[in-house]
Amino acid sequence: MTGSGLPATLLADLQDVQPPIIAGILIGACLAKLSRVLRSIGWRGGGFRGVAPPGPAERGGARRRRVPSEPAIAGGPGVRPPGAALDAGLGPTQLFPLRLRRPLAMVMCAFEMSLGLALLVTELPVGTRAGTALWAPRAATGARIAAAAFFLVAAAALVELRERRPDLGCGCFGDFSTRPAGCRSIARAALLTASALISIQSPALYLPPRGHGALLFLGIAGTELAVIAALSPEVSGALVRLGYTDACELRRLPADRTLATLRRSRQWRKHARAITTEMPVDMWRELCWRYVVFPCRQDGKNAEVVFAVQVKRRRPMVQAAVLLLTTDWPHGAPAASVPAQNQSRHEAMQLSRRV
Amino acid sequence: MVVQRGDLACCVRCAGLTAAGRLARRHLLKSAVHPPAAEPSGQAGAGAVPVAGAADAAAVPVTGAAGAGAAGGAGAAGADTGGGSSQPAGPAGHPGVLTGTVLDASPQIITLYSPDGERRIALPPGASVWKGRQVDPTALESGDTVVVRMVPGQRSLADRIWANAGRVTGVLIERDRESMLIDEGRTTGRQAVLIPPHVMGRLQVRFPRLEPGYLVDFIGLRGRGYLEALVPATSQPTYRAGEAPARAPARGHSPGRIAGSAIWHEHAGPADEEGVRYPALDPETACQEQPLAGSGCPRLPYLSVGSLLRVRNECTGTARALPVTGCAPTAQIFCDRCVTCGTSPRGRIADLPMAGFVAMGGDLERGCFNATVALGSLSPGSPGPGSVAAGSLSAGPASAGRR
Repeated sequence: MTGSGLPATLLADLQDVQPPIIAGILIGACLAKLSRVLRSIGWRGGGFRGVAPPGPAERGGARRRRVPSEPAIAGGPGVRPPGAALDAGLGPTQLFPLRLRRPLAMVMCAFEMSLGLALLVTELPVGTRAGTALWAPRAATGARIAAAAFFLVAAAALVELRERRPDLGCGCFGDFSTRPAGCRSIARAALLTASALISIQSPALYLPPRGHGALLFLGIAGTELAVIAALSPEVSGALVRLGYTDACELRRLPADRTLATLRRSRQWRKHARAITTEMPVDMWRELCWRYVVFPCRQDGKNAEVVFAVQVKRRRPMVQAAVLLLTTDWPHGAPAASVPAQNQSRHEAMQLSRRV
Repeated sequence: MVVQRGDLACCVRCAGLTAAGRLARRHLLKSAVHPPAAEPSGQAGAGAVPVAGAADAAAVPVTGAAGAGAAGGAGAAGADTGGGSSQPAGPAGHPGVLTGTVLDASPQIITLYSPDGERRIALPPGASVWKGRQVDPTALESGDTVVVRMVPGQRSLADRIWANAGRVTGVLIERDRESMLIDEGRTTGRQAVLIPPHVMGRLQVRFPRLEPGYLVDFIGLRGRGYLEALVPATSQPTYRAGEAPARAPARGHSPGRIAGSAIWHEHAGPADEEGVRYPALDPETACQEQPLAGSGCPRLPYLSVGSLLRVRNECTGTARALPVTGCAPTAQIFCDRCVTCGTSPRGRIADLPMAGFVAMGGDLERGCFNATVALGSLSPGSPGPGSVAAGSLSAGPASAGRR
């Protein structure tokens, strides 16, 4: 960061901040894509019904003629959820044939991570002072040229994607990049290309000088990040997600928590003595309320007590009512103990009690 | 947690007799703890459901509770033709609609074997018959399964007839040159679809990606164990089933009435015949028909099997309150619009059985009608069919709750 005048200082600082910023963007993009994969994998246990693996025709195997009424075809439950793919419906990989999308997406993600790490590692200085030589100058130059080439190709791919599949998001930052690729995404790629190009001659990492030099350095870095953020359609979505909570009727809340809330409530204590089973005989949800039904005895007669528990994390309301069962109600659970043969109910009750 | 462990199935047709009765009783229990808003005038007659004990009141026994259980479940369907036509004909819960099997057909009269016996239906000159396409009544053959919509106010005068209509909506699992296997949902099983060569081009205009993993929705003629696809019911989503776009975050509660499109399905049994499948069942109930991957659109509030849903056909004005009988597994990932009358907002919000769809004024070959849904509730005055009051899908504050 040497120079006679302010423009030269500005240019030098601008060059110096590029490698870390570019490395951060590349690593962040890779991690965002990986998080998508991890979410999909974690989701598998939640009742997802996977789509069957590609058939023989898609795998390139021999086609066979099948009678329409043929009942069973390979590919059942337990297969990989398609959402686990890196190529899940986003990005320029969609321009390629189906069989190439997944490997291409994996290669791209790995390349982003490698390039980001390479930019950081090759920028390590031999010493700790400003202006010290690069530890591996040729490797650093190579990494920066590779980054420039990568962003140039990315910009071209986004132009192509916009032409051929205008409905698809660029997928640059995984699920955050679901909006159709637009001018901003292309401009961002072009900006990063230029950034990588001007960073080729930048020196090793160093601590900026104190005083005005540090302010100028930080100002340049902040300005560039702001420009990149302005060109990133993902930022607005990320900010919305940060402060977002679902409305109660759209919120998922485990039933275990509902039961735990119920058992802590005043209404439960009021009716607990009359309740004759440990397990609820029914539980369902409508909008912001979950209803839990227990059999009970009321004045020597069979009855049911229904609790309405609000689907709310803090201070949920609990309401209750008791209904008598008449003799012509064939499905009413008798006010008796838990059926011994119903092991699943008993296990469930044990689970709910541990909550 | 009974429900979570599957003692109560999530769909009426999957449930046993006891569980179905339990599902039917939910309306009564809900009314006890959350009484519906009172009618303006003295509606509560002798048959009213006495409700007490809600909220912080002491445990007051309620009498007469059991009998109203029959009002729920499949029997809770209530017709409310707000501005629409009143159609008295038809068995069971679908006014103006008759389903059955053709015993004999002539240009003027067809004889059907329906659930309530043999019926003779007259065909006026303007009556139309669909059997893969618009055909002459003489094209009906003995053994054809038909859905007949009667002329309003008539019991034996057909307005429209659909013969052997079938539909397959789901994820393409495997494809051959002329046939494919479609996954419709966990409890529905897989459907074989045959595509005649002369139809393939027409279908691929709106379903260009007939590859495994993509969604399809075909209407056609039901054969023995397969569907002969003839008509595309919608346009194919550009994404695969597992790649449905994440729904956009939205602030605030859901609107009281949600607009979208209502579609139809081939009912899977008597319990499924008089209700509606809803795409957003409470995920905590371990529904056997969990929606497929992807959140899709629109954002629908969570309900459960047995909840009453008031469905309104925005094209005809016909509205009915129907119990939710199951989950519509693929409806959430079709973000399509219906253009039967105007352009509906995106998303499928109700999946009706075939007869119910026709009873509400839908045409099977169109595949959908513009619809709105709201939460229905049994009115306090009369718990039987036809006594359904419209509610709101937005969540309001509780009136008299106690912790």
